Amino acid sequence: MIGRLGRALEATGTVLVLLVVWHFVAASGAFSDFLLPSPEAVAARIIDDALSGDVFASLARTVVTALTGFAAAGLVGAALGIGMARVRLVRWFFDPLVSIGYPMPKIAFLPVFLLWIGPNFASQVTIVAFSAVFPVAVATRAGAEGVERTLLWSARSLGTSAGQLLWQIVLPAVVPQMLTGLQVALPVALITTIVAEMLTGGDGIGGAMLGAMRFADSPGVFAGIIVIAATGFVLIRTMEVIRRRMLRWHAEAAS
Amino acid sequence: MTSSALISFDRVGHSYRSNAGVLVPALADVSLDIAQGEFVALLGPSGCGKSTLLYLLGGFVPIRDGEIRVAGKPVTGPGRDRGVVFQSFALFPWKTVRQNVRYGLERMSLPRAEQEARTARLIDMVHLNGFEDHFPLQLSGGMRQRVAIARTLAVDPAILLMDEPFGALDAQTREIMHEELLAIMARRPMTTVFVTHDVREAVYLADRVAVMSARPGHIKEVVTIDLPGRTEPGVQKTAAFGAYVERLWGLVKNEAVQAAAGR
Amino acid sequence: MSRSATVVGAVKPKLDRPREKGTAVVNWLVRWFPLAILAITWEAAPRLGLVNPASLPPLSVVVAALGRLAMGGDLLANGLKSLFRLVCGLGLAILAGVPLGLTMAWFRPVRAVFGPLVRCLYPMPKSALIPVLLLWLGLGDLSKITLIFLGCLLPVLISTTNGVRGVEPAMIWSARSLGRSRLAALFGVALPAAMPDVLAGIRSALAMSFVLLVSSEYLMSRDGLGYLISFLGDGGAYDGMFAAVLVVSILGFAADRAFNAVSRRALAWRET
Repeated sequence: MIGRLGRALEATGTVLVLLVVWHFVAASGAFSDFLLPSPEAVAARIIDDALSGDVFASLARTVVTALTGFAAAGLVGAALGIGMARVRLVRWFFDPLVSIGYPMPKIAFLPVFLLWIGPNFASQVTIVAFSAVFPVAVATRAGAEGVERTLLWSARSLGTSAGQLLWQIVLPAVVPQMLTGLQVALPVALITTIVAEMLTGGDGIGGAMLGAMRFADSPGVFAGIIVIAATGFVLIRTMEVIRRRMLRWHAEAAS
Repeated sequence: MTSSALISFDRVGHSYRSNAGVLVPALADVSLDIAQGEFVALLGPSGCGKSTLLYLLGGFVPIRDGEIRVAGKPVTGPGRDRGVVFQSFALFPWKTVRQNVRYGLERMSLPRAEQEARTARLIDMVHLNGFEDHFPLQLSGGMRQRVAIARTLAVDPAILLMDEPFGALDAQTREIMHEELLAIMARRPMTTVFVTHDVREAVYLADRVAVMSARPGHIKEVVTIDLPGRTEPGVQKTAAFGAYVERLWGLVKNEAVQAAAGR
Repeated sequence: MSRSATVVGAVKPKLDRPREKGTAVVNWLVRWFPLAILAITWEAAPRLGLVNPASLPPLSVVVAALGRLAMGGDLLANGLKSLFRLVCGLGLAILAGVPLGLTMAWFRPVRAVFGPLVRCLYPMPKSALIPVLLLWLGLGDLSKITLIFLGCLLPVLISTTNGVRGVEPAMIWSARSLGRSRLAALFGVALPAAMPDVLAGIRSALAMSFVLLVSSEYLMSRDGLGYLISFLGDGGAYDGMFAAVLVVSILGFAADRAFNAVSRRALAWRET
């Protein structure tokens, strides 16, 4: 409990220090208001947008896009990873594709999806899922291949049928690695969402930031950065909490 | 003999494909009958295929050469009649002690109350009261192996297969586990096949010891251990015990040296 | 006795060493055949009218467009531009990230000051900085290099810190007890021991650098491969667009493979 409180204090303190530094740099007049608006101006802007509801609308749009793509990547990646670990044909077909797709910059396919699907929610979710699926698949596969055979044998001799092994043993055993893959995929999903929104316009925060930039509205641009940074922080911390909750049984929880 | 045997190995062989793609013979022509209630140890140097033989009997590895029959029926796959305990414990790490012990019971159509009662009785038998809600990683090695034994005995198997079950434990814990295993066996006799490379362990626990030779593994000699008062303290210091250890050690040592020289 | 025991333990089935060359080729073909299936599908689907050839030009048409782009010099000019930005941004991130990571691992006060900052900034999606960098630094190289630098700095820094902090204390103690100074132990023992983590961090930074490069060139550039993709796409030259997408993908893949090969050589002292 003290650890969690300490972390919260630490984060708050860091943010406060950053704000103070920002305030004095902006007030020093070294940069024009256009290049570096004061934190007060940006805060006022965020509050204005919050009161009018604009922030929540665009934030909701961004988070829904990111999490939909992320969830799709999680489901497909988990299925693909387990399939590759356990079914020879699936492994044969997907192994070269995944080993090429994993390190490739998936964002290069964004214009392709825009061409195929159009500049809409569906194409944004598709590119996010496409970007995030590979780490999940690779990590899940490694986990599923690492399940000890004695675990499977024990389950069999305790009356588990071959068909039930997947749900009873393989899936729970694979959870730690799958979560690791998801933790790699989440920042990727966020980065991709922002770029996709900037490129396709739309109502998300990325689109709003690019609009603000076009109108040389620098408080708007900075407000976008602050909101998206806070969102990223919350989502990634939430993921860490989920991991701790789910892995109470795991060695890392004991330490 | 064959008709009264609960388990019979009939000219069992096994080979595996090496990384280079060659068939390497691991077991050849193993024949052995084990009677109801007997405790048989498979003793041999590492690499003699004794664990493989156990996996074949467990039905985990498909039998291609020869036949293994349990109660007259050929083994074709794993079953609840053959419980197994591994050196690595093989507990389900995401389940608590209670959930691990109950796992097999949940797959039998038993009323919930009966499941709970049996689980509690088994946890009591292996002296893990108070640890019911611990996860395996929170337990010591000895405690984990007790959970594994309780989990296996819960489904009431006719045959107990043990694959170097105490090999990962420290010396003191191993001694204690030996005594506990004998105590459990005294209360609830079971036909047991016990794989080990520890000569003293084999003599202390087994009714008969099958000494295996390496590459390809086969049974070289079967020694009947006749130790009256096995559970008495100090049996390990008696002359009879020492003589058995001496004799088996001679057989095993020979095998290890020959296996090394043959390479 | 003890000798025989070790020999028994060492026995491994290594019977026929000389694997046949023909089998290796066949295995290679079998392994990569799914890619051929993909290529054939790409060629056949638009030709058979299964998909609109305007949205997916057949592979051969894309390859021809690739040839034109290469001959016309567009590919080389934009490719070099992108490569320059990538190398500068990633290079600076490594040059700054490794020493900073070492300092943070080695000196508790530095860690106390910068640790919270790093933890606070790490989860931020770096692509959100694209508009502000455009405002500050314009359409030229500097905005992309800065973005890549900022995006790659933290992965390199964090993995270096974690790597050095994860080094077994016994290793450092034994170096110290042999009379090495604290600093000598850092560079002579801790840094080499942390190398696997450092290289893993650089590898993930490499992947990140490609993503940020292409993203920023889509949005704020008049040259580079990302610009080439969006320029060709906007102009309706889809065969060229697919060719450029293919080039970027292959470059990203090849860079990762090359880095992996180099780091494996650098880590040859490790078993396996």
